[in-house]
Amino acid sequence: MSTQKFLLPDVGEGLTEAEIVSWRVAPGDTVEVDDVLVEIETAKSLVELPSPFSGTVGELLAGEGDTVEVGSAIITIADGAASAPAATAAPATVPEPEAPGGAVLVGYGSAGHVASRRRPVKAEARPAGTSAGVVAKPPIRKLARDLGVDLASVTPSGASGEVTRDDVVKHASQASVFRNIETPAWGEVREETIPVAAEESDAVRPAASAPPVERAQPTESSDGREESIPVRGVRKAVASGMVRTAYSAPHVTVWTDVDASRTMELVKRLKSSPDFADVKVSPLLIMARAVIWAARRTPMVNAAWVDGDDGAQIRLHHYVNLGIAAATPRGLLVPNIKDAQDMSMRELARALQNLTTTAREGKSTPADQKGGTITITNIGVFGMDAGTPILNGGEAGIIALGTIRQKPWVVDGEVRPRWVTTVAGSFDHRVVDGDGMSRFVADVASILEEPALLLD
Amino acid sequence: MESVTVPDPTVPDALDASLPVDDTELVRILAADGSVAPTPAAEQYLPLVDALPDAELEQFYRDMVSIRAFDRQATLLQRQGQLALWPPSWGQEAAQVGSARAARTQDHVFPSYREHVVARIRGVDPVDIIRLMRGLTHGGWNPYDPKNGNTHIYTLVLGAQTLHATGLAMGLAFDGKSGSGDPDRDEAVIVYYGDGASSQGDVHESMVYAASFEAPEVFFLQNNQWAISVPVATQSRSPLFRRSAGYGIPSVQVDGNDVLASYAVTRAALDEARAGGGPQAVEAMTYRMGAHTTSDDPTKYRTTAEEQAWGRRDPIERMRAYLEGRGAGASFFAEAEAEAQALADDTRVRTNALGGLDADQIFTNVYSEQHPLVEEERRWFHAYEASFEGGAS
Amino acid sequence: MSLGKALNAGLRRAMEQSDRVLLMGEDIGPLGGVFRVTEGLQADFGPRRVIDTPLAESGIIGTAIGLAMGGFRPVCEIQFDGFVYPGFDQITSQLAKLTYRHEGALQMPVVIRIPYGGHIGAIEHHQESPEAYFAHTPGLRVVSPSTPNDAYWMIQEAIASPDPVIFFEPKSRYWPKGEVDLDASAVPLHASRILRRGTDVTLVGHGAMVSTLIQAAALAESEGTSCEVIDLRSLSPVDYGPILESVGRTGRMVYAQEAPGFVSVGSEIAATVAERAFYSLEAPVLRVSGFDTPFPAANLEGKYLPDADRILEAVDRTMAY
Repeated sequence: MSTQKFLLPDVGEGLTEAEIVSWRVAPGDTVEVDDVLVEIETAKSLVELPSPFSGTVGELLAGEGDTVEVGSAIITIADGAASAPAATAAPATVPEPEAPGGAVLVGYGSAGHVASRRRPVKAEARPAGTSAGVVAKPPIRKLARDLGVDLASVTPSGASGEVTRDDVVKHASQASVFRNIETPAWGEVREETIPVAAEESDAVRPAASAPPVERAQPTESSDGREESIPVRGVRKAVASGMVRTAYSAPHVTVWTDVDASRTMELVKRLKSSPDFADVKVSPLLIMARAVIWAARRTPMVNAAWVDGDDGAQIRLHHYVNLGIAAATPRGLLVPNIKDAQDMSMRELARALQNLTTTAREGKSTPADQKGGTITITNIGVFGMDAGTPILNGGEAGIIALGTIRQKPWVVDGEVRPRWVTTVAGSFDHRVVDGDGMSRFVADVASILEEPALLLD
Repeated sequence: MESVTVPDPTVPDALDASLPVDDTELVRILAADGSVAPTPAAEQYLPLVDALPDAELEQFYRDMVSIRAFDRQATLLQRQGQLALWPPSWGQEAAQVGSARAARTQDHVFPSYREHVVARIRGVDPVDIIRLMRGLTHGGWNPYDPKNGNTHIYTLVLGAQTLHATGLAMGLAFDGKSGSGDPDRDEAVIVYYGDGASSQGDVHESMVYAASFEAPEVFFLQNNQWAISVPVATQSRSPLFRRSAGYGIPSVQVDGNDVLASYAVTRAALDEARAGGGPQAVEAMTYRMGAHTTSDDPTKYRTTAEEQAWGRRDPIERMRAYLEGRGAGASFFAEAEAEAQALADDTRVRTNALGGLDADQIFTNVYSEQHPLVEEERRWFHAYEASFEGGAS
Repeated sequence: MSLGKALNAGLRRAMEQSDRVLLMGEDIGPLGGVFRVTEGLQADFGPRRVIDTPLAESGIIGTAIGLAMGGFRPVCEIQFDGFVYPGFDQITSQLAKLTYRHEGALQMPVVIRIPYGGHIGAIEHHQESPEAYFAHTPGLRVVSPSTPNDAYWMIQEAIASPDPVIFFEPKSRYWPKGEVDLDASAVPLHASRILRRGTDVTLVGHGAMVSTLIQAAALAESEGTSCEVIDLRSLSPVDYGPILESVGRTGRMVYAQEAPGFVSVGSEIAATVAERAFYSLEAPVLRVSGFDTPFPAANLEGKYLPDADRILEAVDRTMAY
């Protein structure tokens, strides 16, 4: 014998509750199927509810006057005999409110249906639509247009194969440097001469008069307030060289700040690499490689203005004798590394080290200092950010590497401390045009920002 | 102007005489007490009744008793939460049994939504009607399955089926399936509707078309006095059978609680229609003893006295008295009762055993040919259901 | 031949192929229909196959349903778009749902032909575009030919369909003539079709608007914008394939229709294309529609109905993105 529960049905198409008006049976009573159990009152009418079961009344689960929700049990009946006297043995049971399929059971209206949230299985990323061409959302397309980026040239990194905002922004920041530039090979020919047309060379003939030079006074004053230092030797040579250069070549200096954090990381890694265990590695090494690489892309910085009887010429060097300005006990010397363009990183590091050591010991030879094609001056060791260096005689470009220090920088929209430095370059404007010098400095800076570009 | 007769609840016994004012038009054969008392208008129909064998008369009784038991059982099932609703046919058994038994096998039947015994007599399984009311289908049976006796499914929009019936009847005429003079071959259509529906435009349009095209059709109006809570006096200021007459359709008013008269007038009407006489109409005066449906509460708009008065004109008791008068014995009535109870029990058991629907059916049979949007949504739905832990619920 | 004549020829052919095909409507018999689409058919097929009905639209549809229940294939004519509404219940509550209600046991091969749209200077109720109500109703198929050739073939395909088809005929296009291939159908009933190739914008529309789109495209071409034009042809179901492929190439789309824009066929298509062609879009999908007012007095129909200028305004707007 099992106990059945009779749940209050929705007798009026959408009712949610009813009031028990009067019970027609009591616990212990015997009831037959369809006997009236109770009278209820709904929002629409008074209704008698017939029993779905035969058996003995167990418990009345609600009292007269109580308001009961549709779907709640109102009475239990201990199931006795089969419900259908003359029919099959199947007992008449009232199904639970959840009918097969989870649907709302008719007769239990909407009250029996409890709002629930089924738990979804973790979904996989759906592939993007298969439209021909680039997959990119409209706002990204607008961004690309605003930044002048060709979407088709951007490598997409989105999960569904779409070009993301980041992709576009990164591409834009690279493109401004590398747009339309190819980096040519060094080639077989070492020297190339470009005649400058007569009108042009006249126009740029150095000024007739140099500013007057104050004659040296060999005396010392008696009160010690003034001291005169005679200019001789290296200083004299350097000074006259500077005058010659400064007053013959129109100097223009351009500079840029750059986040050199990756260079610092690379330097750190090289330092701990077994291949570089025996050489000094410093940011100057990376700078040197950068200058060599950038010179290949803007050949004019690695050249010289040459005046001649038949007119001026620009001599283009297809090799780099990289001068490093060194402050030595003897004075400012600029020894250069011959054919630096052919050197591997290790060889260049060694060459730099040798050069620096030799210069510091005062042993740089005149040959070392002759034939330079382009120069780096490292003013960063003095803590300076930038300067307006004077060209080494016979050259058209000199690059100043500033100090590399932690400064606030914007990375991915946030301000973060990064290793920041300034790259400055002075150029002979007769030889190097404005866009050339800017491009060259930008190229050098981009290497400092991303040394991996040297893999080009 | 003639006044429609509304039963006067304060004068119960005057009902017989008050319905209608002029008895010469009402067709009645059996008085309320079961005695044979044909009205003048019934005279011409007596031969049709006289031709009925006893077995057929007994069948009328058994039909009525069984369906009342079924109807009561269905109401109880609704009160037990097994059905969303139930529209009872209680009180209208005679009109429905008489008219249904008057139709021939080859005829076509268009019910409204309360003609449970009509459907049963034609061969429809009553549990198919239950399934409709249980929310398992919008139809319930296939009218084109021969076992269902050309019975169309219920139509819930009031009166809409009258146009469908007229169209079908027009088609019969076009194809020569009617009007040949052979009543065993000629087909006719009978369409059922109520007093409330008789106000609907579609019903009037259907009569316009039926008359214009001489459709072999019988319009069978059960005037059960109430359209939910609105009395028939609000639907019309003249007897309803005069409406169809206004369209040129021969119309007769019959006592719908008299199964013999209901049978006779419908038989005559159907045979006239199938013979090429064009559409015919019958208004059967009866009473909706129960509520409109199980959601309704008649205590709000009509009196117990009125219900009791009509109860004294009960169609089953009337027929029982008549059969007793003809010598039917206690065993016959006991058997009829037992048969009725068996139907009720079987209905209850089978209803309780009915299962649910597969959600895929939402997307099935929207069109006869595949429709890409429906198929797309069907696929999406199945994928969506499968995306939950435990799969589709 | 004209679109009207093409329909006539198509109806004739369908009636010749099956005696179950009936035509029913007001004034379709001796008069041949107010647009002469059924001209000559009653004379040839008789009054039992080309039926002049009483003046009652619900009655036309409802009895057609009954005839279909009896195995016929009725083709109903509603005299004008604005007069379909009395039959709306029979169309949406009955015709659209009877197959579903019968769980597939009953087919409803009923065609309802409705002349629709403006540009004929008519009085009220004679220039409506009610296609959205029917496209929105599950169970109905809705189509609209724009050319005589399409009219000839689509009416036959609609009649052959086992499903109810609402067949919208652009009445302003009844009389202009076009080529009709009497031998073979170019495209299936529910296919959309590219009528003009272009590269900058995809223009889509149905019915009478298609010829306006072609005109607009020609004007745009002379101004340097290359437009692709697609004839929707089927409003339910919609054949998105050619549309999406086109937008994938052009990245821009304009939908044009005479009907009021709010909750229109164009709105649905715009939303779906925006969803499915999202990554291809250079601009939002634009719609050019009738204003959301009742159709105005005919004196103003030229201002109300989208013309080439209104379409080009949208073209300019999409190109500006």
